[in-house]
Amino acid sequence: MPDPDLELLEQSDLSLLETLDHVLNKGLVIAGEITISVADIDLIFVGLNVLLGSVETINEVLGQRTSGGAAESDAPESGTGRA
Amino acid sequence: MNLYLYCLGRNLVRTSLNAVIGVAGAKPYLLTCGSITAVVSDFAGDRVPVSRAEVFAHTRVVDTILTAATPLPFRFGTVVRRERLESYIEFRKDALHAQLDRVQGCVEMSVKILRDTGQATSHPAEEQEPAPAPGPGTAFLEAKRRESLGRARQKQQAEKVAAWLAGEMGTVVQESTVHVQPTEALVVAAAYLVERERLKEYRKHLQGVLREAPADLRFLASGPWPPYSFSEPKA
Repeated sequence: MPDPDLELLEQSDLSLLETLDHVLNKGLVIAGEITISVADIDLIFVGLNVLLGSVETINEVLGQRTSGGAAESDAPESGTGRA
Repeated sequence: MNLYLYCLGRNLVRTSLNAVIGVAGAKPYLLTCGSITAVVSDFAGDRVPVSRAEVFAHTRVVDTILTAATPLPFRFGTVVRRERLESYIEFRKDALHAQLDRVQGCVEMSVKILRDTGQATSHPAEEQEPAPAPGPGTAFLEAKRRESLGRARQKQQAEKVAAWLAGEMGTVVQESTVHVQPTEALVVAAAYLVERERLKEYRKHLQGVLREAPADLRFLASGPWPPYSFSEPKA
């Protein structure tokens, strides 16, 4: 249950962005063995910036979130808010 | 046949993976390499498409393991031959055990601090400056000067926010990694290693911190995650 002081915004979009930030930027690496392909990308609303390791687009996505698809529901909880 | 790698752990239970489908629709399974167990699935190709389905397949498998133990997650897209995985584990056995000890009983919690673009990008002193003098050269140099000043100010603000956050989080977290990101939107990206039994305390503490935060900042808090930010051995 989110804190009432934290305005929850499009949890699914945020979860996807956070998921990408974690799984594409971090984790154990065996040198030279990451071979991802962006040719088949279907993360349309997220954009290449996130894939390349930036969450610079978070605010943009928040602004455009009505145009994006919903992420799957099994990602960890995310909340955003203004202090 | 290559292997797609999800995570490494100790004393992992195979039954937890029975109902889980992994990357490329394959069934994940445990592969024991000495005292360390890898969670893998067979993978026919050599490149993993970055699709929402495959990203969530990766996280689904690692998250399933996380419910019972804290693994060391691999980065998405790690595909190796079996011999390569075995030699990697054998060569780094001691360091991997030390990492597993480090994260045992913990999960990762994430906090990102974003600039409120409605407030942060405006700067009255600059907005009131007169228009640049005529001439393309002067205008260009003036624009570069403003850009440079903006970056320096963003960096300074980001460092200040990072120092504030570090001071506020205190002992409720076991370890932290804080990245200062002086960009237009993102200011600070922090990851915390938190003991599972202290998660409630962490959340309560964080909410208190956010209430006291500067008004022009916004926060993105998420978790619990597998310890993606704490998987690599300390330098």
